[in-house]
Amino acid sequence: MSIALPAADVVASQASGRSEIFVHELYAALQQPSNLLLLDVRNDDEFQMWRIETRHTPETLHLPYFFFLEEEEKAIAQVQERAANGRPIVVVCAKGGASDYVAERLREAGLSAINLAGGMVEWGDFYDVRPVTEQPDYRIYQVDRVARGCVSWVFISRGEAAIVDPLRYGERYLKLLEEQGAQLKFLLDTHAHADHISSGPDLAELTGAAYYLHPYDAIHPFDMLPARMKYAMLHDGQRFTLGALQIEVIHTPGHTLGQVNFLVTAPDGEAFCCTGDNLFIESFGRPDLGGQGERWAPVVYDTIFGVMKRRVPNHAWILPGHYASPAEANADGLYMKRLEELWRDNRSLHFTEKERFVEFVLSHLPYMPPQYVEIKRVNIGLSNPSLDEADELELGKNICALSG
Amino acid sequence: MTIDVATIQVHQELDVRGLNCPMPLVKARQAILKLDVGQVLKVISTDRGSVKDFQGWAKAANNVALLAQSEEAAPDGKTLYLHYVQRTK
Repeated sequence: MSIALPAADVVASQASGRSEIFVHELYAALQQPSNLLLLDVRNDDEFQMWRIETRHTPETLHLPYFFFLEEEEKAIAQVQERAANGRPIVVVCAKGGASDYVAERLREAGLSAINLAGGMVEWGDFYDVRPVTEQPDYRIYQVDRVARGCVSWVFISRGEAAIVDPLRYGERYLKLLEEQGAQLKFLLDTHAHADHISSGPDLAELTGAAYYLHPYDAIHPFDMLPARMKYAMLHDGQRFTLGALQIEVIHTPGHTLGQVNFLVTAPDGEAFCCTGDNLFIESFGRPDLGGQGERWAPVVYDTIFGVMKRRVPNHAWILPGHYASPAEANADGLYMKRLEELWRDNRSLHFTEKERFVEFVLSHLPYMPPQYVEIKRVNIGLSNPSLDEADELELGKNICALSG
Repeated sequence: MTIDVATIQVHQELDVRGLNCPMPLVKARQAILKLDVGQVLKVISTDRGSVKDFQGWAKAANNVALLAQSEEAAPDGKTLYLHYVQRTK
């Protein structure tokens, strides 16, 4: 579990003469309400695209750093207005360079400003790891890439591990598994992702574990080209044994044609269903990222109201692949809910007629980021970006759910 | 940007290779103040972020115009980001 660092400690960091804090410290400080002022000094378009959001997003002031170069006094005065009486200010930019410069100017002007080391790049790379449950026979961890709203799930039982929807930085999982003394056995992608780069194929090569994907998703929906990476094929009804856990593959097409759920059954009777981009806590996965929204929207209906109702027990915990807002987490910061609660609370599921449902879906499709086509190429081995290019592809928050 | 960089008359070059944000802009700002109004500074940077930064700066500052930006491969294979900035006031 993340250790909460009260906002007061951020202030204390400054008092002890530190000029920067790290993303994990800021994240911890923002797990409860605070009086921090976030000063974001990036360009307008970068700020519009994504910013620091947590369960308790503090007041945020946006003032691009070149104002501090061009009109330093005016810019500092604008910050001063909001940050009198020693109110702590955390300054953030893209990589931590310009914000360091601005924080120093603010400190010279007598304000309590501290730089966020590494800026939004580090924030974007921050993974929050927390336990879902730790039983004698099995343990489950949520690995949440906070800035992107991407969630992955690690199952461990009797020394064996499976990762569902492993996110880009595979080494974070290896570290967790090492701490847990578990050996990686299965790498399971619920589908070929369009919003983020999977570390599944790389981790498979690195560890010798098998990487699994449904073959329908091993064809690029726009290029119509087959995957050029090693993978084992998933199919409906397939079963895996992971220590004391049973994993069943349920084909749940709609978001993609090869989207599957992994239904994990524990010996104590609990069930956990990794839904990827099928069901979310709020909303569900959009059907148009393959360019076939009108054809695939009815398939989403059949999956949710047919397959899910039939095959996933009502008491199963739904473990989704995304969230749109940190408000979707429970009090423990976990993005999980029992299916029966989801039927009740997720208002996008309150449909009884397929036609109405399809209408609703097609009228609530958000903008599709153009890089989603390329990310899918990367995920099936058709493209191999440099580190910088990969960073740019993954910039900002996921847009995999319906809007509003 | 529609201007062909080959037609731009450059009065001074500023080499900020290896420097990261905010230094390319800080140095460009100092350099441009040493030019006469109308003269052009060519900035050579290895910082990819400088592309957007120079655009933002040109909008925010009241004494410069960004005439053009281009990319070029350096002998070592790195990409160079070139910015042509004119002092206007």
